[in-house]
Amino acid sequence: MRNKNNKKEKHYGNVRPKNYRAIYEEKFYNILFQLRYPLMTVIFFTTLGVIMLMIINNKSDGQSVLNYFFHTVITFSTVGYTEGYGTENVNLNRFFSTLFIMISIPLVYIYGLVTTVNVFLNSNITEIFRYWRMYKAMDQLKGHYIVCRFNGITRELMKNLKKRGIKYVLVEPDPALEEDIKNFGVEYYVIDEPHKRSVLLGVGIERAKGVISAFEENTQDLSVIVTARLIRPDRDKFSIFATATTEGAAEKMRLLGATEVIVPDVAVGRRMSSFVLHPPSPTLSGFLEKIAYGERTDIDIIEVKVDQQSDLIGKKLKDIRMRQETGATIVAIVRADGKMKIAPSGDAEIKLGDSLIIFGHPKALRRAEEFFESHIVQNKEGDKVS
Amino acid sequence: MINWGKVWSDFFIFLALTSNVGFIFSHDPYQLIIAIGVNLLATVLKFGAKKILAAELLATALVADLHLIPATILYFMEFHVPLAIGLAIGAAVANVISIIMLIIEIIFEYLKEEEI
Repeated sequence: MRNKNNKKEKHYGNVRPKNYRAIYEEKFYNILFQLRYPLMTVIFFTTLGVIMLMIINNKSDGQSVLNYFFHTVITFSTVGYTEGYGTENVNLNRFFSTLFIMISIPLVYIYGLVTTVNVFLNSNITEIFRYWRMYKAMDQLKGHYIVCRFNGITRELMKNLKKRGIKYVLVEPDPALEEDIKNFGVEYYVIDEPHKRSVLLGVGIERAKGVISAFEENTQDLSVIVTARLIRPDRDKFSIFATATTEGAAEKMRLLGATEVIVPDVAVGRRMSSFVLHPPSPTLSGFLEKIAYGERTDIDIIEVKVDQQSDLIGKKLKDIRMRQETGATIVAIVRADGKMKIAPSGDAEIKLGDSLIIFGHPKALRRAEEFFESHIVQNKEGDKVS
Repeated sequence: MINWGKVWSDFFIFLALTSNVGFIFSHDPYQLIIAIGVNLLATVLKFGAKKILAAELLATALVADLHLIPATILYFMEFHVPLAIGLAIGAAVANVISIIMLIIEIIFEYLKEEEI
C-alpha cells in the first residue's frame, strides 16, 4: 500500500519511505485472508441447510425460514437443544439432520468456527492495533528527534527529552531489545536498520529536527550520519549528534556532516576530573553541570549571537534593559576573538561579533531570544556584509 | 495454462450477479436464500486478495451484502416486499460494478505481462 499523503520532497536518489503504518494495516488484512476458507464453509453450509429444510418441508414463509436458519445454526454449533422444524415429516427431517450433522460438525464446527477463533487468538490483534496506532501517531510528528540505538547513553538522553516534552522516535536494529524498549516506555519506536534511507524517511526525517546516533561502533554511526546528511543537507536546520570511540573518528564524523560528536570516554573523564578540581559541596555540587546537561527543567542556559545588524551593538548592558524586560540574566560575554568575560558589569559594552551567554527560566530565555531578534535592524540597501 | 484459483473466485462473483438477477425476476424465496449465500461467499473470497483493485472489489461486495441482508429480512417478514425487491436490484447494480472492475483488472494484468 502506498502512502498517498506523502509530501513530494526532493532528496537524493529515488527511495520510497518505509510506511510502518501500512505494514501493520497489511498484517491485519492478512488475518482476514486466513479467515477466507473457514468462513466460506460456514456460509455455504448455513445456506445449504436452510435450502434443504425448505425443500423437505416445502415451506417458504418467513416464520419457517427463520426456524430452519435457527435449526441449522444450533446443529453445526453442536448446541442443538431443540428441533427447529415442524411436526410434519419428522422422519425425513431427522434423516436429513443426521446426514447434515455428520458432515457439518467436522467441517463447519471443527474447521470453520474453531479455525476462525484460532486465527483471532493466534494473530495478536491487540498487538497489531497497538503498533498501528503508534505508527499512525508517528506519521503526524513534526520537529522531533530520531534516536538511533537503545543503550545506556540513549536511555539517559530519552529520559531528559521526555522531561522536556521533546518528541523522539527510537530506531533500534536489534529485535531482541524490543521488550526492554517497551518496558522503558518509549512512545515511538521502530525495529529497523537506521542507516537505510527508506527507514529514515519512514520515521519522518524530512520533518525532524535532528538525528542522534549513539552506536558502539563508529562504522554504524558514520553510515547513519552520512545517510541523514545526504537527505537533509542543511546544517542549520537539521542537526546530527553522535558518539565516537576515538577523537580521530569524531573528527571524521564532523567533517562528514555531524553537528557535534562526543567521545564518551573523554566526556566521562572530564566530568570525573571536574569533581577532583571542585570538591563537592552540598548546594553547589553539580549545579552547573545539571544546568548544562539539562537535568533541571526550571533553569537553562543559552548562547545568543548578536546579529551584525543589531542596534544593540555599542550599547552598555545596563542601557539595553534586557533583564527588566525578559527576566533573563547575561552571565557572560564571548568576544569575537573567543575570550570570555564572565559576570559582566552593567558598564560592559556589546561589540560586533559578540555572543552572550544568558541564564534563566526557559520561558525568560525564549523572551530573551525574541528580544534580540526584535533589535535587528533591516539594512535598507539590502547589502549584507558577510 | 488455466488458473483454477481465478476460475474459483470469478465463479462466485458471476454467480452472485446471476442468482441476484434470478431473484429480482422470480421473487422466489429459494432464489433469495441462494443469492444471499452466494453473495456472502463472494465477499469472503475477496478477503486478503492483494490485487490492484482489491479495495474497490471488497467495497462493492460489501455494498451488495448490505443490500441483500435487509432485503432478506424485509422479504421474509412480508413487510415492504417491493422495497426488498428494490434493495435486491441495488445489490445487482453493485454486482455489475464488481464485474466491470474485474474486467478492468484483467486488462491491467494483461498489460503488466506485456511490459515484462
